[in-house]
Amino acid sequence: MGIIIAVISGKGGVGKTTTTANIGLGIALNDKKCVVVDFDIGQRNLDMILGLENRVVYDMVQVMDGEVTIKQALIKSKMSPNLHFLAASQTKDKSVLESGKILKLVTDLSLDYDYVILDAPAGIETGYEHTIEFADRAIVVVNPEVSSIRDADRAIGILDSKSQKVKDGGEVLKYLIINRINPKMVQSGEMLSSEDILDILSIPLIGKIPEDKGIIDASNQGKPIILDHNSDAGRAYARIAARLCGQEVPFENVEMPENGFMKKIKEMFQ
Amino acid sequence: METKQYSVKVFEVTITNEEEFIIFFDKNYVFFQHHLICVNGEVNGNIESYLNNKGLKYITNVELPKGRKSSETTFETIPEEKKEIEPQAQKVIEKERNPLRVIDTLVRSGQELKIDGDLLLLNRINSGGSVNVNGNLIITQIVEGDVRCYGNFMMLKASPKANIVFHDVEVDNEYLKERLNRVELIDNEIKITPVLKETSWA
Repeated sequence: MGIIIAVISGKGGVGKTTTTANIGLGIALNDKKCVVVDFDIGQRNLDMILGLENRVVYDMVQVMDGEVTIKQALIKSKMSPNLHFLAASQTKDKSVLESGKILKLVTDLSLDYDYVILDAPAGIETGYEHTIEFADRAIVVVNPEVSSIRDADRAIGILDSKSQKVKDGGEVLKYLIINRINPKMVQSGEMLSSEDILDILSIPLIGKIPEDKGIIDASNQGKPIILDHNSDAGRAYARIAARLCGQEVPFENVEMPENGFMKKIKEMFQ
Repeated sequence: METKQYSVKVFEVTITNEEEFIIFFDKNYVFFQHHLICVNGEVNGNIESYLNNKGLKYITNVELPKGRKSSETTFETIPEEKKEIEPQAQKVIEKERNPLRVIDTLVRSGQELKIDGDLLLLNRINSGGSVNVNGNLIITQIVEGDVRCYGNFMMLKASPKANIVFHDVEVDNEYLKERLNRVELIDNEIKITPVLKETSWA
């Protein structure tokens, strides 16, 4: 049985879908079978970020309704043979989701894949509740600003009360990703520090991602930034994917990146 | 056996029957641990070693100065039945008193904690979370959400972002400056005193 991971944030626009795409691809590049599912029914975006928008034929709602088989609806990524994608329906809305059908879908997927990554919709409505319902773990994406953190806090609260695992007496493991860290603003104290965020949310950190203008371009082109080894954000995503695959990767200080000179000296001594 | 509470700290006893004396002290010696016992009558080695054993302080056959016979209380051996009732009575009292709840999970945004009684919260209240307490309240971590307290007192950390209401009166965050502040209701007036002493919660 594979692991079902929900990517949640509460607030919209913090980078859930980008994170899902990059982590999914990162896990696939680590030689693990991975499927990413877009749960944002009615507002699907993940297909574009993965560069698969012209290949969507069937969507997950059709799979859940039994119109097509999972195999027909799954799309293989061009970037890695280990990565598959299941699109959300763009014409339906979130009211089509039903617990029984979702359970069947994610259970079927977890039989074939090591990692099933669910991209949750923004907000805390039924669409969100259905996404987290059968998740084993959750990745919480926040930006270092107060509204994002409060919304994430609320989303975690709902996760801790409504997920099936909690109802059965278990616990959903939660990991925190702090996205869009602006090193200059952190250094000048304008941005919330990671310590404050961890204090407030009190869940373990799995990675920090610096702000990177390349992400917009990467999304527009449908090539996740993780493929760009020169990008700080891409390398940060790669580290997170490795950690999710069980590797020990040391945390790098993205808030105060060493400048080129110091880096060179350090490299000389290695 | 004659017994008499001579003064607050002195208890007089006259022995007529050794067995009766020992039964009486077996049941009641706890009360006399901080008393001086004045033993009159025939005090044999058996009784002396018994009193020493129990760690009681005593003097023997001393004529205490006679005062006014104001309160001659006679101690009676507590009947066995009464002793059995005691723990039950205590339980009832504890129920009537507000039971203390200790909670160490954090109160997240959107979560509401309603407590009938006293609360000791060992974690933070996040922005958007709320705690409503009938009794007294102590919170050891920072508060960023709402607090409603209707007890005699509450103790809070300096919390600039909190919304604190004590007996339906909003408490200005500026009054809560120190690491720990005590907010009390005294004679219908709210009094806020900083607790400056270092408090270690561990």
